[in-house]
Amino acid sequence: MTDRLRGPLPWLIVAALLPLVLGPYHVALFGYIFIAALVTLGIVLLTGVTGLISFGQAAFVGIGAYTTAYLTTTLAMSPWLTLPVAVVLTAGAAAVIGAVTLRMSGHFLAIASLAWGISIYFLVGNLPYFGGFNGLSGIPALTLFGIDLRGETAMYYVILSFLAASIWAVLNLLDSRVGRAIRSIRHGAALAESVGADPARLKIAVFVIAAALAALAGWLYAHHQRFVNPTPFGIHMGIEYLFMAVIGGVSSVWGAVIGALVVTLMKQALEDLLPSLLGQSGNFEIVVFGVLMLLVLQHARQGLWPWLIERTGVRRAPSRVAADPMPAIRAKPEPGEAILRIDRVRKSFGGLAAVDELSFRAEAGRVLGLLGPNGAGKSTMFNLISGVLPVSSGEIRFLDRRIDRERSRVLAAQGMARTFQHVKLVPSMTVLENAALGAHLRGRHGLLRAALRLDRAEEARLLAEAAYQLERVGLFAQRDELAGNLPLGQQRILEIARALASDPVLLLLDEPAAGLRYKEKQALARLLMRLRDDGVTVLLVEHDMDFILGIADRLVVMHYGRKLADGAPREVQANADVQLAYLGAD
Amino acid sequence: MNRRNKSACAAVLMGLSCLAAGSAQADITVGVIISATGPAASVGVTQQRTVPLLPKEIGGERVNYIVLDDASDTTTTVKQAKKLISDDKVDVLLGPSLTPNSLALIDQMAETGTPMISLAGSGAIVEPVDDKRRWVFKTPQSDGQMARAIIQHMTSQGIRSVGFISFNDAYGEGWAASFRSLAEQVGIKIVASERYQRTDTSVTGQTLKLISANPDAVFIAASGTPAVLPQATLVERGFRKPIYQTHGVANNDFLRVGGKNVEGTLLPGGPVLVAEQLPDSHPAKAPSLEFIRLYEALPNAGMRSTFAAYLWDASLILKAAVPEALKTAKPGAPAFRAALRDAIEGVKDVVATNGVYSMSASDHLGLDSRSRVMIRIENGGWRLVP
Amino acid sequence: MGPIMDLTIFGFLVQDGLTTGAVYILLAVSLVMVFTVTRIVLVPQGEFVAFATLTLAGLERGDAPGLAWLLVAAGVLAFVMDLSAARRRGSRRGIAAAAVLFLAVPAVLAAVALYGIGASTPLAAKIAVTCAMVVALGPILYRVAFQPMAAASPLYLLIAAIALHFVLVGAGLYLFGPEGVRTSPLLDGSTEVLSMPVSVQTLLILAASLGLNLALFAFFGFTLQGKALRATAVNRRGAELVGVSADYAGQLTFALAAAIGALSGVLIGPVTTIYYDSGFLLGLKGFVGAIIGGLAAYPAAAVGALLVGLLEAFSSFWASAYKEVIVFTLIVPVLLWRSLAHVAVEEDHD
Repeated sequence: MTDRLRGPLPWLIVAALLPLVLGPYHVALFGYIFIAALVTLGIVLLTGVTGLISFGQAAFVGIGAYTTAYLTTTLAMSPWLTLPVAVVLTAGAAAVIGAVTLRMSGHFLAIASLAWGISIYFLVGNLPYFGGFNGLSGIPALTLFGIDLRGETAMYYVILSFLAASIWAVLNLLDSRVGRAIRSIRHGAALAESVGADPARLKIAVFVIAAALAALAGWLYAHHQRFVNPTPFGIHMGIEYLFMAVIGGVSSVWGAVIGALVVTLMKQALEDLLPSLLGQSGNFEIVVFGVLMLLVLQHARQGLWPWLIERTGVRRAPSRVAADPMPAIRAKPEPGEAILRIDRVRKSFGGLAAVDELSFRAEAGRVLGLLGPNGAGKSTMFNLISGVLPVSSGEIRFLDRRIDRERSRVLAAQGMARTFQHVKLVPSMTVLENAALGAHLRGRHGLLRAALRLDRAEEARLLAEAAYQLERVGLFAQRDELAGNLPLGQQRILEIARALASDPVLLLLDEPAAGLRYKEKQALARLLMRLRDDGVTVLLVEHDMDFILGIADRLVVMHYGRKLADGAPREVQANADVQLAYLGAD
Repeated sequence: MNRRNKSACAAVLMGLSCLAAGSAQADITVGVIISATGPAASVGVTQQRTVPLLPKEIGGERVNYIVLDDASDTTTTVKQAKKLISDDKVDVLLGPSLTPNSLALIDQMAETGTPMISLAGSGAIVEPVDDKRRWVFKTPQSDGQMARAIIQHMTSQGIRSVGFISFNDAYGEGWAASFRSLAEQVGIKIVASERYQRTDTSVTGQTLKLISANPDAVFIAASGTPAVLPQATLVERGFRKPIYQTHGVANNDFLRVGGKNVEGTLLPGGPVLVAEQLPDSHPAKAPSLEFIRLYEALPNAGMRSTFAAYLWDASLILKAAVPEALKTAKPGAPAFRAALRDAIEGVKDVVATNGVYSMSASDHLGLDSRSRVMIRIENGGWRLVP
Repeated sequence: MGPIMDLTIFGFLVQDGLTTGAVYILLAVSLVMVFTVTRIVLVPQGEFVAFATLTLAGLERGDAPGLAWLLVAAGVLAFVMDLSAARRRGSRRGIAAAAVLFLAVPAVLAAVALYGIGASTPLAAKIAVTCAMVVALGPILYRVAFQPMAAASPLYLLIAAIALHFVLVGAGLYLFGPEGVRTSPLLDGSTEVLSMPVSVQTLLILAASLGLNLALFAFFGFTLQGKALRATAVNRRGAELVGVSADYAGQLTFALAAAIGALSGVLIGPVTTIYYDSGFLLGLKGFVGAIIGGLAAYPAAAVGALLVGLLEAFSSFWASAYKEVIVFTLIVPVLLWRSLAHVAVEEDHD
């Protein structure tokens, strides 16, 4: 905890001291900056962390601001009562909008956000109870225990407290079990699903959190400005918030603050400077803003914060986690028991059968190799088992439950863990965090407990388990490196550690040796043999015969979607059909 | 906290304290906030041009103007007002150009005790004069006053039903409200009430609805060149009955873009628009001609603008009030601002381009019916309707 | 008290919707074209339209066209960028072409626009100069804004497009002022279609937009060059290996997009008032049309754009205050349907 605070604490002190050196106008200005930072903080979560893009955050600020404006002026409610109302109302609106639009991908979501951003502006402007386009004035100042918080300095501290608390909560959230799942979403829904997380629900949750932060900003805005009208919540502000986040660095929490700070101060400076410089009427500010934005995109696409970090060379301290396995969560089947039964499974794509009437079984504590030349249908078979694809006909049973129509998320909960043919890791998370992602289902604490840091005991256990698995696969020393910086061979091993962290009954490996160099293959083979000795059940899909021969207890060979051979490696190797298929194919 | 971090923090603090320091102190400081960019640019630009014409000296004191452009955005207006009041210690604020932006400042003006003369249309800015609005004055004729001129003209023409179309924004909303209530009082029926957007490329739907309601006249509440589109569409669709516009269209660009489509248009306006045609007895004639001479001599200024004249009139009011205030206090102090407020409230018979201003504790606009005339567009020019 | 929608009104609204829709079609197909080749959502497409109308109106009025200065300034910047890129590369290949495209062409066009146009110049010549200037601006903008980051993800390209839109709108206010313009009609008069009076200008817009749509469809669907351009979108490196430079493809596409924008601007100038900032909503609605078409198919984008135009016409009749709300809310279900119909492909972000 002290480690985490060493960074931001001095800056918080600086922020707290600002009103002592600044004039009232700049204090008020910093109030606006921090309000904007709250909105961009939501955008960081949404765009930078989760990979969703929204031009409509200003509309959520508007819902928050109008809620309190209306309730405090017409119903004379206390602002402190309207805060939860504003947040809940906005979050509710976001949940509805999110449920509809988050199913859209990429540009569809962006255009939908433009749509609601524009709609809400005109909707509010035409509703007489909200003062129409002329807005609502006379919004009361905040009071706290009878103290009037009117005035720049008092409001500044209120805003700063909310911002600091929000940043704290978001940092906590990202550094937690759910946070890791959220950070995995943008690297493919299949990854999140494979560890048992529900990416669709998490996306909505992130969207709702971002909207709630915007609502908080709106509430503060209404009581700082003491007046609301529709223009500050229109689409141009939605775009501006997104720009702030991109300029600051959309993948980092501090980028949100930096972005709001730089953009607002720069606009302020331009307002003062440009007219005297050019002596002409015109909107030069927007031109300079656009040019700056283009320069950032062309030269520092990650934003200013990562660029600054790189320049200052700040390094994080090593984590002090000890390897310590968690108690097993499920009884292991007896060795030799058939845990996976494939029965006359068929999968066809438009009349073409990729898997044709295939049957085999995998036994506990053994390594089963599914072998075949390229195009034999083994990847399709892998996808059928792991729940990525539904079967066309036939049956797949796992631990005596029928699973051929289940999603991978459900399978993960039942004890199936997998790796990917094209490595899927979260490159911006450390090796330890990536391994801990695999233990997702071994923790229970949700968003709220994570945000309030009430999940620490469980979090420590999850990290200890992850560390244990890293030790097991031999990556403990690299635990603090970013996963994206590992060589491919170690990335594949990290995927295995992640899979092991879920305490699986069955480990599915999809061509783990693909693209590896000879030494890396040897290391992988040694690891797999060690795991087999530990009693882990492995189903290995591979086309590299030499690699698989030394590891597998049994081999199933596929050719053109059908089973060609099934038996001990030596027998299969001697099989004439197999030899023909392999030699003929190569 | 390492050393690098510490020194970075210190540097930031120092930099910020530099930001805070250094605001010049002139004799009388006047803050001006106008909307020279953004959607209301066509209004604010004329006011921005007028600033160099404002008096450099009043009552023997030098006057310093600080002009800021709020880009038609209320958040910016409030920020800029904070800056002007706290950093620049302005004695009085002129502006903003727009109604929502003016409404946004009412609380701040009252809390800091700074008088403000708004340049925006809506009566709601100064009505009713309550504790907060004590500090707020304005120079433009209220929407209600202008609407009354239109209603009077309509009544005199025997018009019983009107189709109404306006901007889908604060300007249109203000007119819709004041026109509706006045029309109801005299029994004029509004048979259709439509909205459109400044940048719309087509208003055919709205126009068809207006025409199919078969009104005796159509009233378009919009400003600048965007006011042409509904009128052009009406004319193209064969509508031949009277069309009224607001004084928001009173610039040459409107005539240029409108061409023959806007011939015969009726609109209310400040006397300054047709100063040359006013009878010599009209009090606004002399100050209007003076303003026109100065304004139209500016480079690129083009035709006189009633919006520019609002700022000019505000300065005329200051000319009358500042000497009074100087008797009791020195500029740059709260006492002076309070005295100035009292003095502005006390001005009587200030003859200006938009009429004669006589303020009182219950009237912070102070214009009477001499402040507006009816104008007709004839042969591509503005004609006074007697 | 709502007036009854009779057949005449219905007919007029359909006509209005088709006219507006036809302009959106032009924008939509242009957006589709740019997106399929460069993965850029060209938000500033609307600015090409507005700049064309405003420049033409300026030429008609006898004002010095501000666009000429923007063209020359941006051209010099583009050339400098090419020059410094060439120095870094250590090769002077392509510099001559850049000098022609970014320096000579803008200079000549600016000179013609500033000194060659008089009161007696025929309208067609003014239109030609206007279009030429806007077209020349297209590749320059691609060079300056997008070429340095052409490999970025589509979302970053979208943000860059919005940034460029800001720059152009700000420049537009400075160059053209806040007031609107109308240009003189290309063709006067009206004719009867199904016993309804229809203005010839409207027919011209419809014909141009449908013709262009078909032409683009044919070009990208059936010609070798069109297919090569599309290939760069799928695989930049691969296209470069077979001799199609992605930079060239981007600049060519932007020239085409600018040409379509200029044509749209010339066509709608006489029927509506255009402002320096008219482009955004025009482009946005074209974008909506394009999105309805999945940002990929020309005929589908055209249908989407017509749909937006019709929806707008009818909602401005029924509930004009809520027109934008209706247009933008009703597209959400369409978007949802499109995105569900669109097979969910695993998206990997960078």
